[in-house]
Amino acid sequence: MEFLTILYFIYTFIAFYILMIYVLTYIQNKKQIYEIVQPNKILPLSIVIPCFNEEKTIAKNIEAFLSSDYNGLKKIIVVDDCSTDNSYNIIKQCAKKYSQVIALKTPKNTGCAAGAKNFGAKYVTTELIGFSDADSIPSKNAISQMIGFFNDIKTGGVTSRVFVSNPKNFLTRIQAIEYKIIAFTRKLLGFLDSIYVTNGPLSIYRKKAFDQVNGFDAKNMTEDIELTWHLVSKGWKIQMSIPAIVRSSPPTTIKSWFHQRIRWNVGGMQTVAKYRKKILEVGMLGYFIMPFFIMSWFLGLTGLFFLLYRLTRYIIVRYLIIKYSVAAQVALITMQDLSVSPSILFFFGIFLFTVGFAYTITAMSISKEKGFITGHPLRDIFIYSFFYLLMYPPLLIVAFYKYMRGYNTW
Amino acid sequence: MLKSKKHVFWEALLVTVLIFLIGIFFGMLIETGNSNKINNFYIRSEISLTDAMANSRLLDNSNLNCESLKTKNINFADQVYEEAKLLEKYEASGKLTEGIKLLHKKYDLLRTILWINNQDSLKRCNNYNLIVYLYEYETKQVEKKATQEVWSKILLELKQRQSDILLIPIATDQNLTSLNLLLDQYQIKQFPALIINNDKILYNLESPETIQPLLN
Repeated sequence: MEFLTILYFIYTFIAFYILMIYVLTYIQNKKQIYEIVQPNKILPLSIVIPCFNEEKTIAKNIEAFLSSDYNGLKKIIVVDDCSTDNSYNIIKQCAKKYSQVIALKTPKNTGCAAGAKNFGAKYVTTELIGFSDADSIPSKNAISQMIGFFNDIKTGGVTSRVFVSNPKNFLTRIQAIEYKIIAFTRKLLGFLDSIYVTNGPLSIYRKKAFDQVNGFDAKNMTEDIELTWHLVSKGWKIQMSIPAIVRSSPPTTIKSWFHQRIRWNVGGMQTVAKYRKKILEVGMLGYFIMPFFIMSWFLGLTGLFFLLYRLTRYIIVRYLIIKYSVAAQVALITMQDLSVSPSILFFFGIFLFTVGFAYTITAMSISKEKGFITGHPLRDIFIYSFFYLLMYPPLLIVAFYKYMRGYNTW
Repeated sequence: MLKSKKHVFWEALLVTVLIFLIGIFFGMLIETGNSNKINNFYIRSEISLTDAMANSRLLDNSNLNCESLKTKNINFADQVYEEAKLLEKYEASGKLTEGIKLLHKKYDLLRTILWINNQDSLKRCNNYNLIVYLYEYETKQVEKKATQEVWSKILLELKQRQSDILLIPIATDQNLTSLNLLLDQYQIKQFPALIINNDKILYNLESPETIQPLLN
C-alpha cells in the first residue's frame, strides 16, 4: 500500500473516531442537552467586566447584568484598563446610578484582558466569580441557568453558550454558524468532563477554585483556555449550560477575524506547551483534552498537506498535458479522461463528509433561534462546511510561525 | 445531575473499527471483482495470442495469407489496447489489493510476446506498421507522466487516421526479463520511446505528423 494511502486511512480513521465520539455522546445524552439544573441554594456572585475602549457597548453590558433574574448577583465590578475613550466616565456614571456597580481603573494599562480581570478579582468576596466581555450581552436568565451546576461541589467553572449578535455581513453570518457548532460540541464534551475552554463572554467560577489556580495567566494569549486547563488539572469539573445565552460581537472584517484566530491558536499552543508534562498523566486533561487538541492540529495539518500535494500535482500534470496536447494538436480531453472509477478512499471521504455534514445540521437545528430546520440558509452552511473550515489549517501554520517567533500582541 | 459517560470512547472506537472493516471489506470485494473481470479478459487475450502465434508458425510452412494475418494481429492488438484502458481505470481506483498490478504485469508480458511474435511476421509480410510504445508505469515525475499521457493521445489519433497500425504499449519498469533483453537489443535506456517497424527509435514525439513519414 502506498504511503499516501496509509496516511489517508490514518487521517480518516482519527477524524471518524472523533466524530463518532460526538455522535454517540449526542445520541446517549440527547435529552440532557437542554437540562436546567435548579440550584440547591442561592450562591452569591460577583461579575467582573474588563473594559478597554468600549464606550459604545459597556453601558449595555452593565445594564444587561443589572436586569438579570438571578437574585444572588451582588456586585458588577467593571475594570477600566486605562481606556483612551470615554469608557471610564460611562462606567463611573453607571456606578453612581446603580449601587451594585463598582467602577475600578487599573493603575496602568495591563495590555491584556487577563490583567484587568485579575485586578477586578481582588475585589471579589463572594462564593462565585463571573467574567464577561464588555461587548457581550447576556440574556436575562443566563446566570440563573448556570448556577445550578455548582450544586456539584467538584464543579469549578460553568460556561455559557455564545451567539453572534446581529450577524450583518457574510463573515459574521458564517461565524454565527461556527459559534453554534462550537457551543454544541462543547456541550457534548461537557458530558465527557472534557470542556477545554470557558468562554470570555460569560463564564462563572467557584472563587475557591479560581484562587487555587491564582486566577488568569496574563502571559497567555487565551487566558480562558489556560484557566480551564489549570482548573481541570487541579481536579475541578467544568460544565456548560446550553440555555444560558450570551450574545457577542464577532470580528466583522477579515483582518480582525484573522488577528483573533491567530491569537486563539497561539494561545492554544502556549497552553499546550505549558501543560505538556500533564499529557497522559492527569485525568481527562492528560488523557483526552490534550491529545484531542494535538490531534486536531495533526488532522488539520495532514489534511492540508494531503490536499495541497494532491491538488498541486494534479494541476501541474493537467497543465502540462494541456500544454503538450495543444502543441501536438491532439484532443485535450478524451473519453478515457472522463471515465473514472472511484476508489475506496473516495467513498471513505464521502462518508466522512456526509456524517460531518449531518453533525453540522444537527448542531444547527439544536441551536436554531428561528427559521426552518437550521435557522440559517443552507448556502451559508455549505460555504461553512466546504470553504470556511479549510481556513483553519493555514491559520494554524501562521500561528505556529508566530508562536515560534514569540508573538504576544493582543 | 449530569453524569459522565466515558465509555463512549470505547464505543466510538468499536464503531469506527467496525465501519472501517466493513468499508475495507467492500473495497476489497470491489477490487477483487475488478481483478476477476480483467482476468477473464486476460484469459481470452491469452487464447487469442496463442492463436496468433500458431498462425505465425503456419506462415513458416505455407503460403498463408499475409492480409489475414495482419487483420488478426491488428484486431488482437486493438482488443488488448481496449482492455488496457479498462485496466488503467481500475488500477487508478485500486488501493487495497495488488491483484490489478499483477495483472498489469501479465498484460505487459502478453504484449511483449505479441511484439516478439510480430517481429518475424512484419519481416515476412511487411504489409502493416508496428509501433511499440515503451513507457514507465510507476513514474512519479509529473513531466514524464504528462508527456506519456500526451504520447498516448498522439498514438491513438494516429491509429484512428491509419488503420494498418499495430500499436503495442508496454510498461518497461515491470522487471520482465524478456522485455529487458529486447530493450538491451535496441539499446533503449530512456523512456518514453517509440520503436517503429522494429527499426526506427523515437525519443521525441511532437505530433502525429512526426511519425507519419516513418511509416510504410
